[in-house]
Amino acid sequence: MSRSLKQVAVLLVALLCLDPHGRVGSAPICTHGPSGCHVPSLADLFDRVIQHSARMHSLSNDLHSEFEQYFLPSKNHIGKIYRKCHTSNILTPNGKENAQKLAREELTEVILKLLMAWRDPLFQLHQSMAHQQDFNSFSSNKALEMGDMAHELRKGVEKVAEKMRVLGMLGNSVTGLSAAEAMLPISDSGEAMSDYELLYCFRRDSNKVQNYLKILKCRIVPEHDC
Amino acid sequence: MAEAMAYSLSLSLLYLGLLCGNGLVSARGSELFTPDPSRGPHFTGCRSREQETFRCWWSTGTFQNLTEPGALRVFYQTKNALEWRECPDYTRTVENECYFNKTFTHIWTSYCIQLRSVPQNITYDDTCFTVENIVHPDPPIGLNWTLLNVSRSGLHFDVLVRWAPPPSADVQMGWMSLVYQVQYRVKNASHWEMLDLESGTQQSLYGLHTDKECEVRVRCKMLAFDNFGEFSDSIFVHVAQIPSKESTFPTTLVLIFGVIGVVILLVLLIFSQQQRLMVIFLPPIPAPKIKGIDPELLKNGKLDQLNSLLSSQDMYKPDFYHEDPWVEFIQLDLDDPAEKNESSDTQHLLGLSRSGSSHVLNFKSDDDSGRASCYDPELPNPEDLASLLPAHSGRGENHPLVSSSSPSIPDLGIQQTSEVEETPIQTQPAVHSWGNMDFYAQVSDFTPAGGVVLSPGQLNSSPEKKKEEENEKKIQLQLLSDGAYTSENTARQLDVPPSPGPEQGYHAFPTQAVEGNLWNGEYLVSAGDSQTPYLLPEAPPAPTLPPVSDYTVVQEVDAQHSLLLNPPSSQPALCPHTPNKHLPAMPTMPMGYLTPDLLGNLNP
Repeated sequence: MSRSLKQVAVLLVALLCLDPHGRVGSAPICTHGPSGCHVPSLADLFDRVIQHSARMHSLSNDLHSEFEQYFLPSKNHIGKIYRKCHTSNILTPNGKENAQKLAREELTEVILKLLMAWRDPLFQLHQSMAHQQDFNSFSSNKALEMGDMAHELRKGVEKVAEKMRVLGMLGNSVTGLSAAEAMLPISDSGEAMSDYELLYCFRRDSNKVQNYLKILKCRIVPEHDC
Repeated sequence: MAEAMAYSLSLSLLYLGLLCGNGLVSARGSELFTPDPSRGPHFTGCRSREQETFRCWWSTGTFQNLTEPGALRVFYQTKNALEWRECPDYTRTVENECYFNKTFTHIWTSYCIQLRSVPQNITYDDTCFTVENIVHPDPPIGLNWTLLNVSRSGLHFDVLVRWAPPPSADVQMGWMSLVYQVQYRVKNASHWEMLDLESGTQQSLYGLHTDKECEVRVRCKMLAFDNFGEFSDSIFVHVAQIPSKESTFPTTLVLIFGVIGVVILLVLLIFSQQQRLMVIFLPPIPAPKIKGIDPELLKNGKLDQLNSLLSSQDMYKPDFYHEDPWVEFIQLDLDDPAEKNESSDTQHLLGLSRSGSSHVLNFKSDDDSGRASCYDPELPNPEDLASLLPAHSGRGENHPLVSSSSPSIPDLGIQQTSEVEETPIQTQPAVHSWGNMDFYAQVSDFTPAGGVVLSPGQLNSSPEKKKEEENEKKIQLQLLSDGAYTSENTARQLDVPPSPGPEQGYHAFPTQAVEGNLWNGEYLVSAGDSQTPYLLPEAPPAPTLPPVSDYTVVQEVDAQHSLLLNPPSSQPALCPHTPNKHLPAMPTMPMGYLTPDLLGNLNP
């Protein structure tokens, strides 16, 4: 009798201890905010993400100016200006007011769409720059770094969106962007875009992303009479 | 004349209008757009202040008939809508300005604008841009400074400069992220000091001079874009110097006195220790010195004394390349009737001097037996001999031949002959100035009386006649094989057996076995003689001592600038087509020594 009781007790203890939902879980290490480690607030997350996007934009600007030095394109030629970026299909607000008028979810979605659309083209850009001898290794490294940054930024923005959703700031209309959004960088004539065009487009798009994130932050985390 | 006046008037009006415009940027910005009067109508620039609106300006240029308003019109086209639209707002107050307000400004969109004259349907100018690339932010406002600290000396101070971002730029939201650049200079200087870009709104300036007024200004631009805005108004920073003479006074006095004291000490030291210092700083040049020999003797040329001195030392006496001692030796030998047989050897020696007259140092010989030449008054000059003396290092006891002319010395020499080595050769470097001369005779035997018998290398004394012939031959050979002192010309003249050529006399021993014999035979050896000469007939054959030649004749210099001592003889024949590669061989070089001028030939 006592033996069977002992066995049952042992079993119970074992079950309790080995309960997967009890201890063995992928719970975050910092569960308590003030006493434990510092859990970044939404504002912090936004700050990080904005910093990251600023660096990315700065890098794209550097590469673009390097390119311009190399090739010295005619600056004001009409035909050159009207290049069609592959992200032109994405409807983006083209002013401060327009961006402010846009709903948060839509703005977040636009940001994510943009970042997603650049995943493959940046990789392509790095590949083609690495193969060409016109560029020194610095440039191709920058391109690689840029691609990585875009990837990380996208992950970061996804995390922010997740957090916002958790906090109830975002409605559920934000669709998880599927990878089916792969957009190939094809210019008007159907050929693949050149490196210079890619850089031009990315510089513009990274500036967009940066500004949209700032506007979004201002709306989500109100401060400084934003 | 009137036209010119009208033209200039219109231009000045234009400038005035631009300058006195009430808009900030339009007034400021268009100052920079100096229209190019030589061109036709053209755009002078487009600018945006805050990335929400922008303006464009143009000028009529040289076309005066287009100055009236409405003659020139601006059309724009965006990528969104590809039709050409006219400028939404021609600014009334400012001439030739087109203003795009918020509704018409699309960021990240390409604009192209054209300057047209509609009646004539001519497009004078067109340009394209995107708005974010033409943003020139307004200057920062509220520039002020606060004193951080003053240095202890009161000569320098540090300052913190603060400013505020331009009000037109929306930095709170971050629509424009600005970076600032501070510039400062001492008032009225021509060069502005530039500091690095600062993203905050304050900057410290270090190391400014008190009592000097410093002018500071700041401007800004958008991060990751290239267009700076205008400079803000300058502020002047000035801090009066605090007089603090009492702190500096003693320091300078102390310094001055210290320096004077040190100088006085030095002077005293120098004067007291003058002699010692002279020796330390200006050491006397050492005069040439031979141990035990008074240089005065050398100068005076008292040869006898010198000889006695030298002979009394362990010097390498046999290296004196003059015939006197040998002659004396020979003389001694001849005196002794018992040495009659060996006298032929000495005759060889004398015969040598006879036929090798061209190489002998002033050695006159007649066809008589050597005896006559012994007493020949035509001896080398004492000075020459004297000059020979200091050239020897002390090798003395190894050499059988004695250089001194005193009769006592041969005895010494004889006793030392048992240790004959190849040493004479090695002293040759010292005597290169002596020219071609027969210096060496090989000692082949000793007389019981203590004389030294010189021989051409033969150990046995053969019948005299045959010897004479051989000796002649040997003499010739000896001449040829005489180290440094036989010229190749003479060598060629004489009938030289091929195997040991005269030039080989100085080749290093390992290269040719025969040479060893030559060396062994020293300077009297016949070429083909395989016997080793030296002292005693029962002396073992030569190569106990490999006669290493101290010096070897350099025959050629090849393309790699290496000295060929023994160039392959076939080489000139093999490569006739590359004469340039090899530096010219030296046919006329005297054997043994490379004189400086010949050395010059070596260098390419």
